[in-house]
Amino acid sequence: MIRSSGLWSALAGRASQAVLVAVVVGVVSFSMMQALPGDSAYRIAAGRYGYDMMDAASADVVRTELGLDKPTSVQLANWLGSLARLDLGKSAVTGNAVADELKVQLGHSLLLAGAGILVSLIIAVPIGIAAGLRPGGALDRITLGASIVLRAVPAFALGVLLMLALAVHIKLLPVAGFQSPKHLILPALTLGLGLAAVSSRVVRDAVSEAMAADWQLFSRTKGLSSGQTLRRHVLRNATLPVIAYIGVQLAYVIEGVVIVESVFAWPGIGHALVHAIFGRDVAMVQGTALALGLTYVVLNLIIDLCCHGIDPRRRSIT
Amino acid sequence: MSPVSIAVEALSVFAGTKQLLGPITFNLAAGRALVIMGETGAGKSLLAQAILGTLPAGLHASGLIHLNGQRIDQLSPEERSSFWGRDVSILPQEPWLALDPLMQASRQVNEAHHLVAGLGSRAASVATRNDFTTLDLNGAERRLPGALSGGMAQRVAFAAATAADAPVLIADEPTKGLDAERSTKIIHLLAKKPDQGGTLLAITHEASVARRLGGDIMVLKSGKLVESGHTEKVLKNPAADYTQQLLDAEPQAWPKQPATPCGDILLSAENLCIWRGKKCLLEDFSLKLHANERIAISGPSGVGKTSLLDVLAGIRAPRQGQVKRMRSVAATGIQKLYQDPPAAFPGKVLLGKSLRDVARLHGVDWAVVTEYLSHLGIHPSLLERRPDSVSGGELQRISIARALTANPLVLLADEPTSRLDPITQRETLAMIADIATERGIAIVLVTHDLVIADRWADSHYQLQNTGA
Repeated sequence: MIRSSGLWSALAGRASQAVLVAVVVGVVSFSMMQALPGDSAYRIAAGRYGYDMMDAASADVVRTELGLDKPTSVQLANWLGSLARLDLGKSAVTGNAVADELKVQLGHSLLLAGAGILVSLIIAVPIGIAAGLRPGGALDRITLGASIVLRAVPAFALGVLLMLALAVHIKLLPVAGFQSPKHLILPALTLGLGLAAVSSRVVRDAVSEAMAADWQLFSRTKGLSSGQTLRRHVLRNATLPVIAYIGVQLAYVIEGVVIVESVFAWPGIGHALVHAIFGRDVAMVQGTALALGLTYVVLNLIIDLCCHGIDPRRRSIT
Repeated sequence: MSPVSIAVEALSVFAGTKQLLGPITFNLAAGRALVIMGETGAGKSLLAQAILGTLPAGLHASGLIHLNGQRIDQLSPEERSSFWGRDVSILPQEPWLALDPLMQASRQVNEAHHLVAGLGSRAASVATRNDFTTLDLNGAERRLPGALSGGMAQRVAFAAATAADAPVLIADEPTKGLDAERSTKIIHLLAKKPDQGGTLLAITHEASVARRLGGDIMVLKSGKLVESGHTEKVLKNPAADYTQQLLDAEPQAWPKQPATPCGDILLSAENLCIWRGKKCLLEDFSLKLHANERIAISGPSGVGKTSLLDVLAGIRAPRQGQVKRMRSVAATGIQKLYQDPPAAFPGKVLLGKSLRDVARLHGVDWAVVTEYLSHLGIHPSLLERRPDSVSGGELQRISIARALTANPLVLLADEPTSRLDPITQRETLAMIADIATERGIAIVLVTHDLVIADRWADSHYQLQNTGA
């Protein structure tokens, strides 16, 4: 008997979460922008015309044009109103529609995030399995040490270190930018190493726990070889906690994308967010933060569906 | 003279320098059965693990082991594992835990036919289907282990373990936690092995299982051989006191507990109906429970015994009917004892702390709790341990002390001794009865053992499957 109601209620749950995220992210990022010191009209004008070309008059023009002189509650209500019509407004600096800018940037960010997760899995899965098969062994202890060091180094520092080592010293890869697939490697490696630091330990724990289970021994004593037992039973059982953990890790991915993109001048959404904050481009800040928040919800939904697909216990009842 | 299947000479198991088992010597010929009997902690499972080469880390064995004429004790672990499934089948002690929780039942049997017995995929499917039909498992093919009953999981594990038809079968506590009907079925399956010319090595703590398997018997106590011989003869005329104790601990041998005069009504249930999902488990059940009364409730697994206790405890609402608690009984005046004691304690908390928390919550002096414990034969030093570092019998007695700390008038006991060995089971149930009589507590005992229900309780309710 297939139970699909569980799936539908999960979907409905994520949908209502998405609405909540949109409102909370909008309100919070708006209030944070309001709380920043300085006159945002000046900063926007500087962003449009350059610091040398602007004066109080051009700032006043910006202020009237964008309605920055209106009360904050009216500005917030306006933004929420247009959000309800699925209109994200226009960038205060470039004048382009925020939605159009996001479309391009989001694609770049997803490419980077996907590559980062892929790199982390390529590193974490084999290391985690090997360490989990011999808990307490030399490999287990060495990789534990390495993962503590890697996780302790912040992403921006790791990025700069990798840049110095692989791009400046041995000139293997380009330092930063976005011209060729080669440019993807360093930022993806920076993101992936940080993720692998923890997920390799999660894989290791999942595998060592599965290896200690009664059903693992029974699979051996009924005659399956250690390799057959690993492939047919241990790995599938160990995959569940790992997939669930990747879901938890997504918060780190989003945070990492903002930092790594800034370090490597990767034209993604995190990069855009940081620039929009410098330029007081409220519409862009809200748009990018909203896109990041919704991405988080959607990725979690994908994780839910993956777990649903792997774990037959969630599908069948009898 | 049939060939010798398992020959063991001076087999001992050590933890460091401490000897846990042996020395044990025996020859087991094809077509014969050998039963190893003893209470929990007698080292019975170590014997099977030493023969197979699956001793837990930290233990090591000495002595000679021959399997089907080949000496195997000096082989490497990898070489020894090549015998598993092909030369010797092993029936696991906890079938539920032995099945992969994510794989459908039939696939776990199918892979043994395919990968171990070496059948092609079509032949393996046919063989699997035959197994499911013979073992009365039709309809369970696509279920996951979590949706199988204990008896079904046992039979699925049996099919998977014996797919390659190894000549030797080792079964460790094959009837643990099964009701009478299901243990009869599994014993019947095991007994076929020697009849068909194979060899059976069975480990059990139940004399009734040994009696039905026949063959030869070795009785172990604390890892030492107490006596051995023909099962029938040994069980009829035991030479050792310990064997006699094991036989006395069988419920059939228990004296009938004297009936106690009943006091006031504490709890009454009228016309209860209990449902699980869309299935009606129990209809029109009524019961009056008096102070000092012992009631037993029995019935096959899945009939709703545990649900009934939850309704009586007020943890769950009945679909229909009502449970009335007399004014003299507080909500915490009804306490429950659970089937699986380790699951009823927080695993990482010291036992002493768990008990002190309960005592503080109910404002009971710690001295009173220690008195319960000493009455139950629990040494205070055990309280410094975690639940997983004491035996099941000790833990169940600690849980009785915990329940008593809440000053109950009614004790609902859900199979409290089904996972204990017979001697401990008998002691524990006698203790519960004593304490109840002393303090005027009413007890509802749920059990799958009709004999226990009959011998122990004042009255006995037998639940039937409604079939709905």
